[in-house]
Amino acid sequence: MKDSSFMPGTSAANIENRPQRVLPKILFLPFALAFLLLLFTGNALAEEEALIYKNARDRMVRTQIKSRGISDPATLRAMESVPRHLFVPETSVPDAYDDRPLPIGYGQTISQPYIVAYMTEIVQPKPQQRILEIGTGSGYQAAILAETGVSVYTIEIIPELAKNASERLRRLGYGRVQVKSGDGYFGWEKHAPYDAIVVTAAAEYIPPPLLVQLKDGGRMVIPVGSPFFVQTLMLVEKHGKETGTRSLMPVRFVPFRRAE
Amino acid sequence: MNQTSAAALNRLHLSVALLSIAIIAFQLVLIHVLSITQWHYFAYMVISVALLGFGAAGTLIALARGWFLERSSFLLPLLMFGSAAAMATVVGITQAVFGGFDSLLLFVDPSQVWRLLLANLLFSTPFFLGALAIGLIFVQHVDQIGTFYFANLLGSGLGGIVAIIILGLLSPQQLPAVTAVFSLAAGFLILPNRRLRWLIPAAFLACALTAFNIVRPVYLSISEYKDLQRTLNLPDAGIVAQRNSPYGLVQVVSAPALRHAPGISLTYSREIPVREAVFSNGNWFGAISEWSAANTEHLLDYTTGALPYAMATPNDVLVLRAGTGMDVSHALTRGARRIVAVEPHSTVLDLLDEQYSKTMGGLFRHPAVTVVPLEPRTYLATDSSHYDLIILPMVGVFGGTAGLFALQEQNTFTREALSEMWRHLTPDGILCASAWLDYPARNPLRLAATMVETLAEAGIDNPAAHLAAVRSWGTITFCVKRSPFTPVEIRNVREFCRQMLFDPVLLPDLKPGEREHYNLLEDRSIFTYMDQILSPARQELYKTYDFRLQPATDNRPFFSQFLRWQSLPHLIRLFGERAVPFIEMGYFIVIITFFQTAAAALVLIILPLFRLGWRSGNRLWTLMYFSGLGVGFMLVEIVLIHCFVLYLGHPVYAAAAVICAMLIFSGIGSYTSSCMPIHEATPYRAAGLVALMLLLYAFLLPPILQHTITFSMGWKIIFTMVLLALPSFAMGFPFPLGLQLLARRSEADVPWAWGINGCLSVLSTALATIIAVEAGFAAVFLLASAAYVIAALAEFWT
Repeated sequence: MKDSSFMPGTSAANIENRPQRVLPKILFLPFALAFLLLLFTGNALAEEEALIYKNARDRMVRTQIKSRGISDPATLRAMESVPRHLFVPETSVPDAYDDRPLPIGYGQTISQPYIVAYMTEIVQPKPQQRILEIGTGSGYQAAILAETGVSVYTIEIIPELAKNASERLRRLGYGRVQVKSGDGYFGWEKHAPYDAIVVTAAAEYIPPPLLVQLKDGGRMVIPVGSPFFVQTLMLVEKHGKETGTRSLMPVRFVPFRRAE
Repeated sequence: MNQTSAAALNRLHLSVALLSIAIIAFQLVLIHVLSITQWHYFAYMVISVALLGFGAAGTLIALARGWFLERSSFLLPLLMFGSAAAMATVVGITQAVFGGFDSLLLFVDPSQVWRLLLANLLFSTPFFLGALAIGLIFVQHVDQIGTFYFANLLGSGLGGIVAIIILGLLSPQQLPAVTAVFSLAAGFLILPNRRLRWLIPAAFLACALTAFNIVRPVYLSISEYKDLQRTLNLPDAGIVAQRNSPYGLVQVVSAPALRHAPGISLTYSREIPVREAVFSNGNWFGAISEWSAANTEHLLDYTTGALPYAMATPNDVLVLRAGTGMDVSHALTRGARRIVAVEPHSTVLDLLDEQYSKTMGGLFRHPAVTVVPLEPRTYLATDSSHYDLIILPMVGVFGGTAGLFALQEQNTFTREALSEMWRHLTPDGILCASAWLDYPARNPLRLAATMVETLAEAGIDNPAAHLAAVRSWGTITFCVKRSPFTPVEIRNVREFCRQMLFDPVLLPDLKPGEREHYNLLEDRSIFTYMDQILSPARQELYKTYDFRLQPATDNRPFFSQFLRWQSLPHLIRLFGERAVPFIEMGYFIVIITFFQTAAAALVLIILPLFRLGWRSGNRLWTLMYFSGLGVGFMLVEIVLIHCFVLYLGHPVYAAAAVICAMLIFSGIGSYTSSCMPIHEATPYRAAGLVALMLLLYAFLLPPILQHTITFSMGWKIIFTMVLLALPSFAMGFPFPLGLQLLARRSEADVPWAWGINGCLSVLSTALATIIAVEAGFAAVFLLASAAYVIAALAEFWT
């Protein structure tokens, strides 16, 4: 290809008609370097960010969860792995690993990390089990359960939350979690019976269909309290026709008595 | 200005009255609106801070008195138009600018604190501008303060009436702008002939904003944590009926996923029916149940609330706070022959009767049912019949309310109330109350304590023989029987528990291990506490438990208030400092309000001294005298509202009557004072007289009301007016007399004194609540008297 150079007074038509000029490869080099630099710094930044959150998660597990007596290895592993900061609204990301629930809109919250861990440990998830969750919310509890190797089916009554959680779970690699937008009262008969049912959005009654869909010997766990203060966790255990409950405390037992 | 013509003076008086109507009506309307969008406690806090606008106005006039007085003819209408424009727009602006504000998040999201402060500032604007106008008139016409103060108090009294009327007529979002009309009228009345070039556009703008906000009011966005909003978030949910009322905005919501079955047994296997539900001010009020006289079974049969029916079939049943009537239909289904349903929320009763009678199977029109639209205590005081079963409303809600209603007066659950109910029981009658189980245990323990102390007061030596309680996974129901439980009844309770998977908690012959057959508790201490309540050692538990468990009394009727400050460090260690406010938010908010207003009041009182000077013979007595009056007047108002709500039986109307009567009679007192010659000692003597009168009232009023509560409503209204007129009339004297005396000595101090009075009035609303909780309403009365004593003693510091 014949070399040519820009000539003063060259018309537009001429430029279009003339053969494409190839710039010396050396000229691309700065751009390529800049791009690579950007790529590496970007990657490095992303890695650094991931490390920061990983550290925050480890600290959360150490100080909020293990210290309060959660010891189930599968639960602890799950809590260490799931990026909680990607399940909270953007404005709450800096607080994602704080020891408290956070608002996620529609009057709903993402539970305090310890409560999520406690509920997970209580239902004793084992690989190949099927667990139904009522109240997907942000999808965090479903992701934690999925990390333990169980099949998770989750129902959310608020369509917007269901849509967002479904997309988020898929994006973060929890595509196996099946999300349904609908009324949790009826459960999800198609996949019943369940080894465990986790009700994160509790109502003042326990829906009879859920009890039917719970396996004999299965466990259902329900947090009881207001959006920002869980009082107790109720465990429902089904043994044939005789279903019993157990009220568990999220805090260490100490008498509410003062020495006078 | 002293040469002002008589006609101009009359117009100015009328203008003060109209502006006062606007300010009081706006205040009440704002409480109403904020109670709908947020919660009552938040409204209380915002209003307390906003009312400091009065104090701030006094401070500003004290700082720039000359400047204001020179321009008063121009400024007065301008301030009134400004106040009107602010009244019409401030709710809309705060909704638009701080749409994301949620008072429940105050302890969760630090950014909410800034939003709250900005909201407070905005809400205080109309009060500040209005108060600036009134203060300016007072300062300018201090020689005629008696008549102007009369106009102010009369207008304020009428403002209460106006608010009650418009609350029932108009939708909440229109209300603020409607109150602005009075402020506009006040401004137009005193338009001067000069400088209209500036005033006419201001008037036009204020009118346009007012008209626009009446015709196209802003949509009120409700906290996403309120029951109503959470229900409306359900798919296909919608408001199907709505009614405005002074009791609150009543709305009916329909949603395909809306169900109500409080704490139903795990044995219930049928479908829980979908219902419509009633909300009052955005809070859950009750579900509208379909019912038919042909029903042989009721949803409530599967709750612990069915305990009394497991023991006997009552003929005569009294349902207190019947709400939407679920307990009434339950009683009918269980064979009751005569049911009296007492429910003070008459708007809900009307709505149910007019629109849902068919759905409810004509429940409230059933020949066996009598509906009484009264406060339960008032009904009990006037009724002489006896009942086989008296049902109290359920205590608490599922999961708790975060203590949002901790400071709500609950006259139905006091020791005196239960004793009154005990007297209305037939020889084998049963009193039944249910509560949601909570952790740490509070409601069930206080309920048990109240019942045991009722039994003790009735002379029952062995309360255990008269008390039964059963527990499900979420609720507990207590039954107190006038006669000891029979073996058959005890057997029936056990059978009921077995069928429903409930556990007995209290039974005369309870066996070890029986309390936890179906529903296990990790923390079993509730049983120990319950046993201790039944024993004479309960006083020891009251002293040492982390929460207050003593029964509520008429003097301290805060059944849902449990927090004791000494326990805070322990609770913080246990639950964390972020969670603790959610144990009892209502009381936290009052304390925050108190300190917030105290700090602001301090600044507002001290600031003018930089201009007026610190050393003067008038400083200390002015501070003492006007602080005493500010605190005293407000405390009396609050304590009288408490007394007369119980007496008259209609909370909203009783409160309105007390406020209006007090203000109007005080206004008449103030007017009378303007005709009196003033001596140096007159103001102090007037304050001393009020102090004496209040002291007498503190001891005599409760027995007088108790002995006349059974009289007919007509007589009770006459008694109310007479009882209110006497102290109110006297309380109208000290303020104008004191201002006149101060004006004689140092006219420049008048706005400072007015500001002190305003600041301390606001501060004492929070103070009254704290004292009522900690020491009872009787102490508030005594403190009011003491405040007037301080004002009287100010004479010695002149």
